[in-house]
Amino acid sequence: MDRAAIVHENFLRRVAEGDFPKGRAPGGPLSPSEAVSIYRSGCLTRALDRTSRAMQAAGQGFYTIGSSGHEGMAAIAAALRPTDMAFLHYRDAAFQIQRAAQVPGQSIAWDMLLSFACSSDDPISGGRHKVLGSKALNIPPQTSTIASHLPKAVGAAYSVGLAKRHPPEHKALPDDAIVMCSFGDASANHSTAQGAFNAAQWTAYQSVPMPLLFVCEDNGIGISTKTPDGWIAATFANRPGLRYFDCDGLDIYDTYRASKEAADFVRRRRKPAFLHVRTIRLYGHAGADMPTSYMAREEIEKEEANDPLLHSVRLLSEAGALTPGEALAIYRETEQRVDRIAAQAVTRPRLKTAAEVMAHLVPPPRPSRATNGPTAEARAQAFGSDLKAIASPQIMSRLINWALTDLMLAHGEVVLMGEDVGRKGGVYGVTQKLVTRFGRSRVIDTLLDEQAILGLGIGMAHNGFLPMPEIQFLAYLHNAEDQLRGEAATLPFFSKGQFTNPMVVRIAGLGYQKGFGGHFHNDNSVAVLRDIPGLILACPSNGADAAKMLRECVRLAREEQRLVVFLEPIALYPMRDLHEVGDGGWMMHYPDPSERIPFGQVGRHGEGRDLAILTFANGTYLSRQAQKRLAEDGIDARVIDLRWLSPLPEEAIVEALDGCRNVLVVDETRRTGGVAEALMALLTERTGVPHARLTAEDSFIATGPAYGATMPSADDIVVAARELVRGG
Amino acid sequence: MTKAVVVCPGRGTYNKTELGYLERHFPDAALLEAFDAHRRAAGQPLLSELDGARRFSVAEHTRGDNASALIFASTLGDFLSIDRAGIDIVAVTGNSMGWYSALACAGALQPQDGFRVANTMGTLMQRSLVGGQLIYPFVGDDWRAQPDRRSELLAIVDDIAGRGGHELYLSIDLGGMLVLAGNESGLAAFENRVEPLQQRFPMRLANHAAFHTPLMTPVAEEGRRILPADLFRGPDLPLIDGRGAIWWPGATDAEALCAYTLGTQVVETYDFTKAITVAAREFAPDLFIVTGPGTTLGGAVAQSLILAEWRAMTGKEDFKAQQDRHPVLASMGMPDQRSAVERR
Repeated sequence: MDRAAIVHENFLRRVAEGDFPKGRAPGGPLSPSEAVSIYRSGCLTRALDRTSRAMQAAGQGFYTIGSSGHEGMAAIAAALRPTDMAFLHYRDAAFQIQRAAQVPGQSIAWDMLLSFACSSDDPISGGRHKVLGSKALNIPPQTSTIASHLPKAVGAAYSVGLAKRHPPEHKALPDDAIVMCSFGDASANHSTAQGAFNAAQWTAYQSVPMPLLFVCEDNGIGISTKTPDGWIAATFANRPGLRYFDCDGLDIYDTYRASKEAADFVRRRRKPAFLHVRTIRLYGHAGADMPTSYMAREEIEKEEANDPLLHSVRLLSEAGALTPGEALAIYRETEQRVDRIAAQAVTRPRLKTAAEVMAHLVPPPRPSRATNGPTAEARAQAFGSDLKAIASPQIMSRLINWALTDLMLAHGEVVLMGEDVGRKGGVYGVTQKLVTRFGRSRVIDTLLDEQAILGLGIGMAHNGFLPMPEIQFLAYLHNAEDQLRGEAATLPFFSKGQFTNPMVVRIAGLGYQKGFGGHFHNDNSVAVLRDIPGLILACPSNGADAAKMLRECVRLAREEQRLVVFLEPIALYPMRDLHEVGDGGWMMHYPDPSERIPFGQVGRHGEGRDLAILTFANGTYLSRQAQKRLAEDGIDARVIDLRWLSPLPEEAIVEALDGCRNVLVVDETRRTGGVAEALMALLTERTGVPHARLTAEDSFIATGPAYGATMPSADDIVVAARELVRGG
Repeated sequence: MTKAVVVCPGRGTYNKTELGYLERHFPDAALLEAFDAHRRAAGQPLLSELDGARRFSVAEHTRGDNASALIFASTLGDFLSIDRAGIDIVAVTGNSMGWYSALACAGALQPQDGFRVANTMGTLMQRSLVGGQLIYPFVGDDWRAQPDRRSELLAIVDDIAGRGGHELYLSIDLGGMLVLAGNESGLAAFENRVEPLQQRFPMRLANHAAFHTPLMTPVAEEGRRILPADLFRGPDLPLIDGRGAIWWPGATDAEALCAYTLGTQVVETYDFTKAITVAAREFAPDLFIVTGPGTTLGGAVAQSLILAEWRAMTGKEDFKAQQDRHPVLASMGMPDQRSAVERR
């Protein structure tokens, strides 16, 4: 007999016999009706777990990770408000079920069964993925497998205080909301989780509001690896800026008491708390996991003897809320009810085609207030002495700074965050003066943790802000990229576009800084950003384009709820000249704030037909130099600046090649996994034009004189172009 | 054992053909006498007199203070007549004033307390008689969902409600029909704006006030003043209200139930469609039993189930086929269907 059946039989027998596990007497503020409500949620959780296994056995269900043993989470939901955004652990069905009881009109059993069945009717993910989540219940869907949802919970909590002072148009949380996030004892050790605890503490330590309730469900084991006895209490009980609460998760009265105290503390003091809930895990990790393969049978049986539902029946009886007979009837009725509902749920349709699966990779557009932009007075005040300089050509970093100024003036919901973006104004001065112009609450100097920076942005976007997180160097993204890949990009997919986290992530990157920094400051790999479905990767090559593209990126995020990465080529920030010293060929006038470069539009320089050089960023700059030399050589070339690296603007590229006899791809990213691979495939598939590529080597970037040795140079481009056009 | 959800009808269901319904069907003479004792004490016409009248009088029988009492008693009588040996009632819900009946059927109000609540609220409605109601369908004869048509009509309601002096609200979401309520100018504006259908719609509901709208606020206040909160207790059966919220046995806060009954539902839209949807999805019954009086609510139940795509039904034909194959709906107001669920 499997463990689920054993636990079930034990429950029936022991309740009938009045044989209950020992525990403290019921106490605290939980009312009889609320206690029964929590018990009902526990029974439904249990019945759903058992049914999910039966559905899988019948080939009708596809998810069996259960919440049995964690039924006490219902008491935590009861202690919170449904407007408190909750980022849930995957064992928190009981929490969602109890919250559903707080919001009229929910059909929670039906909804959960649809999700087990992967039916397209599943109201949260549309059958794409088994997630807990609900728009009506303020539960953004998570997979929460590795606690990667914790950084955004920190961001969402931070947003509450800011939204009170600067309410964004699409504000989602009330001013007195708190944010809750839950996770297991094993994932509490994950560096992502630890970063989130640290970021919350770091924030609260300086008395910045952080109304966040961390809930650690400590069942003592992560799949097969045990958490050392007492570890969670030992490591969390005495952290600065984080108040520790604990309770017995098998006891709904104690759990409710502690949750209420913790939630009240967080709500009143606007400080984070850590609620340590001791619980057990029944039936192993998931349906296919056999706990007997790594745990002694006696140990498993000892845990099962502490079934939280048995504790609940005892407590309800002692509190006079429900007799054991009534409790047993509820358990049985719930089982029967779930069986009946499941029989209907499995008949509902499922996703079939790729198009159906992909329907929500791109979120829906969001109506946003139209704006005429800032008044002349507001601009004059914000720009100050810079206003005079606007009349003359400027370097790229300055134009980006001005574009940011105009965007922040036009849209109060735009918030910047990153390392050194405030007082210092960024390592390269791109965000200079912005903190003076818009204040520290909109230009946030963060702690040194990229996961925290992206999490802050993602979480703030959940509350209507338009975050523009900055990652200081492209190489620093990699320790945090799952925040984009696994979290930000998947949110519309997992929620049928009901939840979104639109934002524009600015990243300084790519190579060619003269002798400075080596790999970590010149990373030239964008592969990690290009294969994320739904993510837009923009990369300008000059200041005017940068300003116009940044405006489009903000529009895409604000109006179309897109996740955008804006990659700024560091080496071009200060670039002044194009062909020779003093020519000022790479400085541009600041484009009028009304001007944008539409998503997918490529740049085109020259009308040459001998050769099209297909390139971007530094490659564009170098190709423009090469273009002049090639012309002197009798080769009439055009330079096509991709601008948008993902998704590639394929139609626009093919169109821009019209009439060209050769195409040279110049790609400063690596030969393997670089942009050129996709371009070569495109050229092969869509054109008959002879083409070749010049790429960076599969190497890291060196510091010192050989800084550019592994990447294409203008000379290399000229040579490659000649070879291609003249056949060597 | 058949699992059933019981659905209690609202106002407008005791009509000419229902005359004598209590006499024919009410199973507990002593209880009916207790209801009449209440009426007698309040100086109101007795149910036995109204029900036993030789002729149906719209003016008399459809007045709120009479109709509510007649409908409540007929409903409760039918509920008490259900064959509980063969039918397991898994939840109770109702439409509009049928909510008061549902409370009594589910045991959240004792029968006489339920009668008192229904009679009092009906009397208060009649006394104030503010505004009125009309009904208009948004599905065609095939009962297929037309969400765009529904949105269109609600946009018209919003438009009219935005005009000075015009009060118009969605009063009840009633399957494939919208029940609108408001003041005379609001209702008239809607009547002038939409196309007449089936030579009946938009149809005014005689002797009905602007139920389930803010215009009823004084009625709700008066109800709370007159009716003590301690009449309410937790239900014995799950109860589904006009928002689709479920009030569970043992897990119900009686004060909250009172506040909803004498507050929220009086002044806010009653979403009957949602109540039926939740009943289907959360209880998956074999059968919906619509108690008497009347037979009109069955259509709204069927339409609600179709809108929820319950048992894959997407239109009237599907519903008919389902009824022929394995009935999902039994109306106790119809003799043949009544016999299938009535205790012998």
